[in-house]
Amino acid sequence: MSRVSPNLLPMLVVAAVALALYWPLMYLANIPAAQRALDTGAALPCKTAVECATQLRSPVLPSPQQLWQGFGNLMFPLNSHNAIPINAAVTALETIVGLLLAAIVGFFFAIGIVASRAFERSLLPWIVASQTVPIIAIAPMLVVLLGQYGVQGWIPKAIIAAYIAFFPIAIGVAKGLRSPDPLSLDLMKTYHASNWQTYLKLRFPASIPYLFTAFKVAMTAALIGAIVAEISTISFQGIGKMLAENSRASDVVAMWVIMLSSAVLGILLVALVNWIERLLTPWRRARLLAPTKPTSGRTEVSP
Amino acid sequence: MTAQAPRTAWQTALVGWVLLGAGFALLLWFIALWWSQTEQASDAQKLLIGTGFLLMVLGIARVANQFTSTRNPLISFTPAALTLLVVVVTAEALLRAYQVPPGLIPTPSRVFSTLLAVRDVLLRDAFQTVVLEAMVGYLVGCGLGVATALLVSRYVFLERGLLPYATIFSSIPIVALAPVLVKMVGIDWQSKAVIVAITVFFPVVVNTFRGLTEVSSLSLDLMRSYAAGELQQYRCLRLPNALPFIFNALKLGTTLAMIGAIVGEFFGANGQGLGFRIQIEAGRFGFDIVWSAIIVASIIGIAWYNLVGWLERRLTAWHVSFRD
Repeated sequence: MSRVSPNLLPMLVVAAVALALYWPLMYLANIPAAQRALDTGAALPCKTAVECATQLRSPVLPSPQQLWQGFGNLMFPLNSHNAIPINAAVTALETIVGLLLAAIVGFFFAIGIVASRAFERSLLPWIVASQTVPIIAIAPMLVVLLGQYGVQGWIPKAIIAAYIAFFPIAIGVAKGLRSPDPLSLDLMKTYHASNWQTYLKLRFPASIPYLFTAFKVAMTAALIGAIVAEISTISFQGIGKMLAENSRASDVVAMWVIMLSSAVLGILLVALVNWIERLLTPWRRARLLAPTKPTSGRTEVSP
Repeated sequence: MTAQAPRTAWQTALVGWVLLGAGFALLLWFIALWWSQTEQASDAQKLLIGTGFLLMVLGIARVANQFTSTRNPLISFTPAALTLLVVVVTAEALLRAYQVPPGLIPTPSRVFSTLLAVRDVLLRDAFQTVVLEAMVGYLVGCGLGVATALLVSRYVFLERGLLPYATIFSSIPIVALAPVLVKMVGIDWQSKAVIVAITVFFPVVVNTFRGLTEVSSLSLDLMRSYAAGELQQYRCLRLPNALPFIFNALKLGTTLAMIGAIVGEFFGANGQGLGFRIQIEAGRFGFDIVWSAIIVASIIGIAWYNLVGWLERRLTAWHVSFRD
């Protein structure tokens, strides 16, 4: 606990400042809209623009009361198919499956990049390029293609999540595989270690910290992929489906609530990776408690 | 064969080129044969395509080693270009062999002819998406990110109060922000620029902060023994040390910016933009235009990434990773 407490007070102060700024900002943003609504004679249960600022149907910034109400509407009943909990669980499942797929593919790519210059030269530019391809364009095609072979529901979304998440993993693991310092590599050479042994005994262990850092980035990426896939394809469950529905219905308060919930979902998923990291690499926790210098290794992977 | 002396690199490469040429010729011959056919190819012909593909892959694996030692970026790009050629030719052959309807996956040749036909529209879209939305947002986000990191690294209170939020924020899915921001700022290019700025902001802050603070304590002691002021410490030690980290974030930011701008357009655009075009055309199964837009977006994305990479090589040529 002693490692957390010095951050706590400043974090609370910053949060308090942000919240204190939110009220005047909210009024500032909403009052012109409220005035316009009053001028056009919209049926509002209020008289002045200042009063109306917290009760607009589609506010620029929703007021805390509105957010609280919207939260109550969308959260309960817990087992409803239109409520957030089940949809968030579906999206989380797609994300995690996608991440595992991406880890497998990313690992193979990373080994290829590190082991063979030819592989790096012929494929890395396209791996980078694949990340600039907007997944939303591929999503409907992928879903139709997979649908022909009987793959439906959440699996295509997991595949799209994997497609966007494998890049950070491949780059991160490649960096990790290259991170052992030349002295250690020379030592392996003097031991007459085979290529395979060098990987097993030196490069893989050295890449574990990088692997988890990459997993944290990839988890967010996979969540984005899953949500985008849900938006752009026909889906009956998931955060993305709720987002698309409410975006079409122009329900601003609901959109804010879903945005905040998906933020919480993202934070929870990354926290899960953190927890697994601490579970699997206890020696790093021991080292973190002792003051050490973090590694600042960097490997050039640009084409 | 086994009794011969080990083959030289030159011979390996020659074998590679021959394999590559043979596979290429095989596939081209099939495509020419099947150009105006409407029924599926026979199993033997499909096997032929597989053989051609395999030959070309084996060829590239042998050829690519030739290009690993040059410093000329154009020559070192040859293996990647060959890989693209293999994928395009194989895709064309397979799509023709299986007679996949163009409404599902258009053949590469069809995509290229569409790209030529609609290039004016796509270039106008690209101007809106890339120059107005992605570039403006990228520059604003990166500028604010570096400035925030400088402040945060200077004041411990801010480091403790703000940095945890920055790491938390980086795990938030940005797509969920997009519809809210589009509703808030409006459907013109500014809303997408805001999305891009927010997307690139957090990685830049976190990376720059790491670069500014992960300075070796020996160098800091040296600065102190020189009686260097705070400003000098930043200018001569911390900023140069942070440059590789900043560039890592900047390179990551280029792809984030493209994705942010394109995804942002799905939630509302003013009738222009690559993301808007992709969404509209995908909705009416005009996948040849969708792929053309994807090609334009990819070319710009790669060019941008390489531009930042080039700047990095110019500015941080002293760094370990560029020395041989």
